[in-house]
Amino acid sequence: MGDVTVLAVSACDVEGEVICAPTDINELFEFTTPLFSIGGFNFTRTVFLIFAAMAIVLGALFVGLRRQQLVPSRFEIAIESLVGFVRDDIAKGVIGTAHGMRYLPYLLSLFFFLLVGNVFKVTPLINFPISSRMAIPAFLAMVTWVIFVFVGFAKNGFKHYFIDTIWPKSVPLALRWLVGLIELVSIFVLRPITLAVRLFANMVAGHLMLTLLLVSGVLFLGGVGDIGIKAGIGIVWFVFGLAIWVFELVVAILQAYIFTLLSAVYIQTSLEPAH
Amino acid sequence: MNNLKRRYMAAAPLVIAAEEAESGGLDLLLPETSELIAGIIAFAIIFFFIWRWVVPTLGETLSKRQEAERSKLEAAENTKQEAEQMASDYREQIAGAKDEATRIVEEARQAAETVRSETIARAQQEAEEIMTRARQEADAETARALAEARGTVANLSIDLAEKVVGRSLDRETQLALVDDYLAELETGS
Repeated sequence: MGDVTVLAVSACDVEGEVICAPTDINELFEFTTPLFSIGGFNFTRTVFLIFAAMAIVLGALFVGLRRQQLVPSRFEIAIESLVGFVRDDIAKGVIGTAHGMRYLPYLLSLFFFLLVGNVFKVTPLINFPISSRMAIPAFLAMVTWVIFVFVGFAKNGFKHYFIDTIWPKSVPLALRWLVGLIELVSIFVLRPITLAVRLFANMVAGHLMLTLLLVSGVLFLGGVGDIGIKAGIGIVWFVFGLAIWVFELVVAILQAYIFTLLSAVYIQTSLEPAH
Repeated sequence: MNNLKRRYMAAAPLVIAAEEAESGGLDLLLPETSELIAGIIAFAIIFFFIWRWVVPTLGETLSKRQEAERSKLEAAENTKQEAEQMASDYREQIAGAKDEATRIVEEARQAAETVRSETIARAQQEAEEIMTRARQEADAETARALAEARGTVANLSIDLAEKVVGRSLDRETQLALVDDYLAELETGS
């Protein structure tokens, strides 16, 4: 833990500064040194965490649902209610009972992968959200995009889905081209980008705040022998960091939910495009 | 101070690494190839697992639980009906017992009443018999006394008359005369 903490920041002059800011933000997020390499594939800490998140999701779901008890344990109840929440509130609630179940596997995968990946941000010893790496939100947003565009074309046909969207008959002719352009850009271009960036930015900001505050707290308090009374700043940073920690836990859960919910909303609007 | 230096040294390799990479926020926005590949693989495995195992299992668990709930409800319903049946049986039995008790008491009262009235009737009858008998005896006694008295009076009268008249009268005729006289007296008085 001590080494990781120190490695997360560049040299910090606790005598001259009031907070330990990194010289380059990237170093908080990029673990370029591979743990090991397989055929040119660098198995970095982030890659390891991605697979760890996967393993946790698989393990939690397996342990939580394997026994099919009529009277479930507390853990089983927790897993079941999470799954039930995605099924009832997101899949059935948003997409509808008729089509919702078809997209349930995807929505469940999204929610659980992101939930674990996001909560990594505030998990002791890990302290790093894998969704703060653009690869994860970008990939998942692309999958959502492919699904809702495909569903839109498959369900409603090219004319009904695409032409009616960019040339909306219900809008007066003078404005039609403008509304159509806005719709075209917002649905087919902005949706996946905002979806990815919303998650990514939340995770980056949270990780940044936590690292800055907690590392400053630890380093200032640790340097008490050298800087004397100034180490008191460390207490402020540390307490503030712990408060943010609670807040970031909520954000982590919320962002997993929002990403899943919006994916469901996009799929739903493709099933029944507005007229 | 020693402590601080060690921290600087530990952090040094990373500082160099960061400087080697192109600095700037843009780097953060570009997906790292190895992470992208890892993400695709990991997500694909999760999706496959959930698609092939979690969702079917969930459906099974739910239907099993619903089945259990239903049978539990049915059992509860049966138990309830049985209990109600038993309760109404008991109520009937209790009502029957009450009726029975009432009937027995009524019978006893009737029996007692019968005995009482019979006893009274018998007593009255006996009393009447006794009184009747007493009255008859008294009447007989009276009649007898009367007859005796009448005989005595008649004889005395005849004897008296004989003495007064000095001659013997035909006894039979005289007795008849006395009797007539007495009868006259009786009716007259």
